[in-house]
Amino acid sequence: MQVLPVLARDHEIVLWTDQSRVAPEVDKIAPVAKYNPEAPPWREINEGAVSIYHLGNDPGFHAGIWQVGAQQPGIIVLHDLCLHDFFFMLFVHHRKNRDAYLDTMERWYGGEGRQSAEAFCVGGISSESMAQKFPLTREATRNALGAVSHCAWVLEELNEMPACPTAVLNLPYAGASEPRYAAWRAARDAMPHPPYRLVVFGYLTRNRRLGPLLEALAGLPERERFRLELCGQLWGESIIRDQVERLGLNSIVSLSGFLFDDQVEQKLASADLAINLRYPSMGEGSLSQLQLWDYGLPTLVTRTGWYASLPEEVTAFVSPESEIPDIQAQLRRYLADPGAFRAMGERGRRALRNHDPAHYGQALARFAAGALEHAPQAAALDLARRIGSDLTGWLPSAASPYLLERTSQEIGRVFEGRQSE
Amino acid sequence: MKILIVTSGDPFVRGDAETAADGLRKALVEAGHQAELIVIPFRDYPARSIPDQMLACRLLDLTESCGARIDRMIGLKFPAYLIPHPNKVIWLLHQHRAAYELWGHPVSGSLIDCADGVVVRDAIRQADCELIPEAGTLYTQSQNVSSRLQRGSGITADVLYHPPADADCFHKGSAGDYLLFPSPVRRANRQRLALQALAQCRERVVIRFAGESADPAEQTECANAIRKFKLGDRVQWLGTVPDDQKRELYAQCLGVVYPPVDEDYGYVTLEAMLSAKAVITCSDAGGPVEFVADRRTGFVTDPTPQSLAQAMDMLWADRRCAGTLGDAGRDQYQDLRISWPNVVEKLTC
Repeated sequence: MQVLPVLARDHEIVLWTDQSRVAPEVDKIAPVAKYNPEAPPWREINEGAVSIYHLGNDPGFHAGIWQVGAQQPGIIVLHDLCLHDFFFMLFVHHRKNRDAYLDTMERWYGGEGRQSAEAFCVGGISSESMAQKFPLTREATRNALGAVSHCAWVLEELNEMPACPTAVLNLPYAGASEPRYAAWRAARDAMPHPPYRLVVFGYLTRNRRLGPLLEALAGLPERERFRLELCGQLWGESIIRDQVERLGLNSIVSLSGFLFDDQVEQKLASADLAINLRYPSMGEGSLSQLQLWDYGLPTLVTRTGWYASLPEEVTAFVSPESEIPDIQAQLRRYLADPGAFRAMGERGRRALRNHDPAHYGQALARFAAGALEHAPQAAALDLARRIGSDLTGWLPSAASPYLLERTSQEIGRVFEGRQSE
Repeated sequence: MKILIVTSGDPFVRGDAETAADGLRKALVEAGHQAELIVIPFRDYPARSIPDQMLACRLLDLTESCGARIDRMIGLKFPAYLIPHPNKVIWLLHQHRAAYELWGHPVSGSLIDCADGVVVRDAIRQADCELIPEAGTLYTQSQNVSSRLQRGSGITADVLYHPPADADCFHKGSAGDYLLFPSPVRRANRQRLALQALAQCRERVVIRFAGESADPAEQTECANAIRKFKLGDRVQWLGTVPDDQKRELYAQCLGVVYPPVDEDYGYVTLEAMLSAKAVITCSDAGGPVEFVADRRTGFVTDPTPQSLAQAMDMLWADRRCAGTLGDAGRDQYQDLRISWPNVVEKLTC
């Protein structure tokens, strides 16, 4: 919704979905069409100049998208870069096709990938470890004309650079108006300090590091000067409650559960410091981080993935190798100079200028137009892969150099108009 | 010269392209050349197999056979005309239309219905742009095909007409009490349009339809139209007829109805002209419009039942006019010098 109005202003957009429910405001911006991933309406889809596929880690939302994108080349926008979870859930749980998962792992990571996948299937390896070592990003972009990520260096670090052209675009975010922001700041300033209100919000899964955060808070002699609010759907709620109880944090920590938008706004407007830890990271850019900056909130993040690319002046960092001592050090730093952190929050808000949705929309459209020129190469690569796969089955190695050279020359002429030598 | 004619086709299917290829081979042999016909089996589904077949053609080497040089290669159809040869001539019967003017066609546009349709379409277009100009000489079989080539690929080609099969055997007979519609039953040939027009005729026009039932669903639709418009006594379905019977049908008809959609060339028009019969066609018929001069050798109508009916009525009501138009058509055919020796001369020079 950040980008759609921008794109719809200058381009004819059709939004395709396989979900049964669509937010009502969406079709006020662009027409919404439904598709069945098992029988996509190719004629209608092919009438578009280019397809843009938004891919994340949730098969419930993204399986259909991937299924179409795997067949009809387009632009893949990677909202997560480590997609092992997605493909595992898709193949093994949704499609009940364990072999497809194993074959995919072997395709990209060889025998080691297959063996690790087999071990993972029986619970021998953690999902975090698999995601970091076997991200399967290239599987997602296998047929793509182009790939958009929000943090390219992570792709390079993961050794998962797609074969297609890639673009790095800052996540788009339209900040709140100045009057609205001023109201939030006033609300925060009106709150008595101390205690200082720490907030964690969003979908609170294991990688949000609640365990180490609670341990860090419990170990801080100055903990009574803080109040920690956990806002959002909590994974393993009973475990967290037990830990709060065990650490004697009942008077400091509260669990709000799922909140509606106006409730989230109230919580964030009155918070002093947002804890936005992530480890391991799936490489994704963080819309929640931008939202926290929108409130001018200083933040504490884990130095990993996209977060590691943030400048030092707009956020405070925690290292994954020393979470608890780092969290404690940052909280003490906060107590020593809350004003410095408030200034950090202000800088975070100003950093939102680099996330202008208009710029994102224009850059995305430009990249898509450029990626279309890559289409012949994509087709050539696909043909070359298939030819190579077939030749491997029967061509003696002595004959390969000539035939491979001749084949590649002609593929180039057919698809790219290159003159053969 | 040793000449290879290379074309592509579906096994077990025979159409106008096969007739043209056979006619060319025969004409080359009669002119003293050694000529062989190579038919590359081509299937346009699944779509992703098309680039495979294009590549297969590119990898063929037809420069020699048994140690002897092949002097010339004449390419007729996609993807066979992609085969490389140092002395290649292309006489283009048509490109792969699904990648061009039939892209998105409600009935015939099969490529757009494929997931990778866009990629394959662009590969075909790219290859045509790059590789058709490999030919030292380039002709098309009709102005319609030349125009498509220019529009779709930006390539200019002269037109080289050729005769229909057994051109010498067509003759003029007396004008009978029927119009002839000699085409396989297919939606693109628009038998149904002719039936709708027949229903609007003021005269008691009769149409004889001759041709195989190439599309059973379309045949059913035609039967429904006949029932709906109560045309049972004014329509005769002859089905597939032997060639000699077909020529007699031409010879004895009052005129020929031939309103296909965007036909590449259209033997029916030429067969009618050779039989000295006026042709009623439509403005969007493609190839036929290159030969039919409105109200001089026939009628070129709007593609509507009403307009077609008016032409059929005019022909039916004025037999003398029908004869005059038909004779003018035959004269025009002679003036065009459509002959195999001309084709051979152009393709071997």
